[in-house]
Amino acid sequence: MEKNHVYNKKKLLVTSRLILLLLLMLIGRLGYLMLKKGAYYSEKAQILHERERDIKAARGEILDCNGNVLAANKTVCTISLIHSQIQKPEEVVSMLVKELNLSKEEAQKRVDKISSIEKIKSNVKKEVGDRIRNYELSGVKVDEDYQRYYPYESLASKVLGFTGADNQGIVGLEVEYESVLKGTDGKILTVTDAKGVEQEAEGERRQEPVAGKNLHISLDINLQSYAQQQAEKVMTEKQADGASVIIMNPQDGSVYAMVNVPEFNLNNPYELESENLDDEAYQEALNQMWRNRCISDTYEPGSTFKIFTSAAGLEAGVVTTPDSFSCPGYRVVEDRRIHCHNRRGHGSENFIQGIENSCNPVFIDVGLRLGVDGFFKYLKQFGVMEQTGVDLPGEAKTIMHKKKNVGLVELATMSFGQSFQITPIQLAVTASAVINGGRRVTPHLALYSSSGDRKCVEKLIPQDEKQVLSEATSSTMRMLLESVVANGSGKNGGLEGYRIGGKTATSQTLPRSANRYISSFLGFAPADNPQVLVLCIVYNPTGIYYGSMVVAPVVRDIFSNILPYMGIEKTVDN
Amino acid sequence: MLIIVSLLLTLGLVILYSTSIYNGRVRFGDPAYYFKKQLFASILGIGCMLIVSRLDYHRISDFATWLYLISLGLSLAVLFVGKEYNGSKRWLALGPLSFQPAEFAKIAVILLLASQISRSKSKKKGLRFILWVVLLVLPIVGLVGTNNLSTAIIILGIAVMLVFMANSNYLQFVGIGACGMAFMGVFLAMESYRLERLKIWQNPELYEKGFQTIQGLYAIGSGGLFGIGLGKSLQKLGFVPEAQNDMIFSIICEELGFVGASAVILVFGILLWRILIVALHAQDLLGMLICAGVFGHLSLQIILNLAVVTNSIPNTGITLPFISYGGTSILFLMMEIGLVLSVSAKEKRYLM
Repeated sequence: MEKNHVYNKKKLLVTSRLILLLLLMLIGRLGYLMLKKGAYYSEKAQILHERERDIKAARGEILDCNGNVLAANKTVCTISLIHSQIQKPEEVVSMLVKELNLSKEEAQKRVDKISSIEKIKSNVKKEVGDRIRNYELSGVKVDEDYQRYYPYESLASKVLGFTGADNQGIVGLEVEYESVLKGTDGKILTVTDAKGVEQEAEGERRQEPVAGKNLHISLDINLQSYAQQQAEKVMTEKQADGASVIIMNPQDGSVYAMVNVPEFNLNNPYELESENLDDEAYQEALNQMWRNRCISDTYEPGSTFKIFTSAAGLEAGVVTTPDSFSCPGYRVVEDRRIHCHNRRGHGSENFIQGIENSCNPVFIDVGLRLGVDGFFKYLKQFGVMEQTGVDLPGEAKTIMHKKKNVGLVELATMSFGQSFQITPIQLAVTASAVINGGRRVTPHLALYSSSGDRKCVEKLIPQDEKQVLSEATSSTMRMLLESVVANGSGKNGGLEGYRIGGKTATSQTLPRSANRYISSFLGFAPADNPQVLVLCIVYNPTGIYYGSMVVAPVVRDIFSNILPYMGIEKTVDN
Repeated sequence: MLIIVSLLLTLGLVILYSTSIYNGRVRFGDPAYYFKKQLFASILGIGCMLIVSRLDYHRISDFATWLYLISLGLSLAVLFVGKEYNGSKRWLALGPLSFQPAEFAKIAVILLLASQISRSKSKKKGLRFILWVVLLVLPIVGLVGTNNLSTAIIILGIAVMLVFMANSNYLQFVGIGACGMAFMGVFLAMESYRLERLKIWQNPELYEKGFQTIQGLYAIGSGGLFGIGLGKSLQKLGFVPEAQNDMIFSIICEELGFVGASAVILVFGILLWRILIVALHAQDLLGMLICAGVFGHLSLQIILNLAVVTNSIPNTGITLPFISYGGTSILFLMMEIGLVLSVSAKEKRYLM
């Protein structure tokens, strides 16, 4: 038997050292993989193991200034199938047929479909969802979800807007304040094996959803619903295309009501009266139905814009109240003869009588005295050229001549509110500045956001008032507009016992040959210290179309109802 | 030695049980399916080990040629009447039991070479001797290599290590190493799928076939310092394919963390060290070479398995001794330990 040689042992030791070295290298490699790259791999592994299901976050409610809920949530269910967990496919099929009214073939197809999670139906009523849950069929998931619900249906529909299938805002405040209202969805993460079977022993990891914040707005459902009634009434009586009402606080820009009739049912926003439309026409009809005309449509304001011309003229000092004018029924500007609405003329009158009569030649004179530069300077200073910044989507811009294209004829027509277009909200805000002491306010609906306990989280009122007019001019304007209602063309807007200021307008839409009119009235009360401003516009009334006849009585009715409600006392004794 | 082996065996059984619960439940409706079979093989292995350790290794090595011929026969038989499992024909069915001749071949080669080398007195130097050894093992390497390349590589590795130790030269082995490298290059280039394996190795995430490797890495990476706890592995839930086999170490990493995995490597290290000590103190060259063969077999298989699992080398199927599932493997590993114990029984105590 051969003995060991020394070199045999040496070589064995050499080999074992090499092996030791290799083992240490492998431990090093292991350390690198587990400690340095561990986070990377374990994250990937976790994604692989977990199946994700969303828990929908509740969307914040929208509440009026009295705390009435205008937009709420109701619980609905989403039914899904997890193919790998279905144990009794026949029972699942018959359940789907019975509870969700699926056809047998359809149900069979969905059950047989191999997918990790198959959504069968969403927005299922809670009762149905509960019933399905009670079947206790494995592989059938019932997830609760929220659906938007509007308790007052069509009230302020174009202001509130509605949400889509994923609870995202589509129009109105719902989209404007999406970031406030929308919550953060939570997640249920369940661990599965490679086949997708959930491992109950591993439990589930929940990321709780964070509910959206409530939005409190200045709208008052009492004012809104009364204004809507009145608007609907006048629309029906005058067989008009539509009517809009804005009720706002001229002091701070809070909007109390914004009506655009016809309104639509927020709980069913895709339902149209007319049927058989092709896709494009259907979408167009929907867009028209959802359109907030107070914000998104421009029109020629007509005589209500004389409020601006007067204020600018007084502020610039080109006119004073005793100034005398004469009206032969027209004014010749350059080569044009521009008629007054009273073809026989108002004769000799001072500025107060001029505004009471809404006499076009008087305002042509004031406009011409201001000149193109002066007129545009005040348009700019008053903010008429800019958007009002109201917190609603889709505000239209003022459509105005380019200054370099404005000759005397254009200036003359502009001074009584024609040949350019503004939105109703622009008119309301401009008039607010004229009567509130000269402050341009930002119209707004949102007041603050709140958490679940309705405690204020964040104030949302804009703080960007700008002085655009002197208090003295504003004071004169209040007096002038009060006398329009007391003695002049706005008489029908007057209400016994209250000091009310206002201005009527009747404007013809383009083309003039169509004989379509827009009648409007802008009123405010109390005239000496305005707390509420009402602008009412009637689109295309039939028959008599004068603002003073059609709209002023509507505003008077609104005042008679809302002034006592708002606690504004009668100040004038009979 | 016995302590270390029982520790490894117990550890292996615990880990195997943890790893195979899921596959056992899903495939056979019995979470302990794999565990029971492994436990049976382990008990059988302990018995064999005890018997072998009582025998004189000189007497056993007298039968080395016969054992080698039997292993050749079995390896040949498996090509014709072998049972397929997972796409490989590696098993011989013996009633309810199945037997993997490749595992038997390893111990046969160790015994054969140890006895051949220790007998051939003068011819231990020179290329002639090396060629002789190569000729000796070539039949079994060829036979096993037709359906189990990894085991063939290990057998070849054992042979190279034994020749290296029997020989006083170093230079020749540098030459053999170079030849081996060149051969590997040609071998890889011959078949495109082998080159593809290389690409998968470099960037497993880009290839569908890198799935096993990537899942193993996910498991390893999930472990962190202390692991997610014994039995809590998620990757064994069908993500790492055949988690109880070659990739079992990745599950060890996931469940026991870097610390646990290092401890397992440490236990292997101690076992190797103990075998090394026995080899150094062996009574004669035969005893030393037997121990060296067992040492080489274990270390090669451990290192290659760890390297594959950590994606340090391209993927090839090598089991982790004592821990991976495999009855035949356990049985013959225990016999090898028995041989080492037998050598140890006759060692020159006075040197201690």
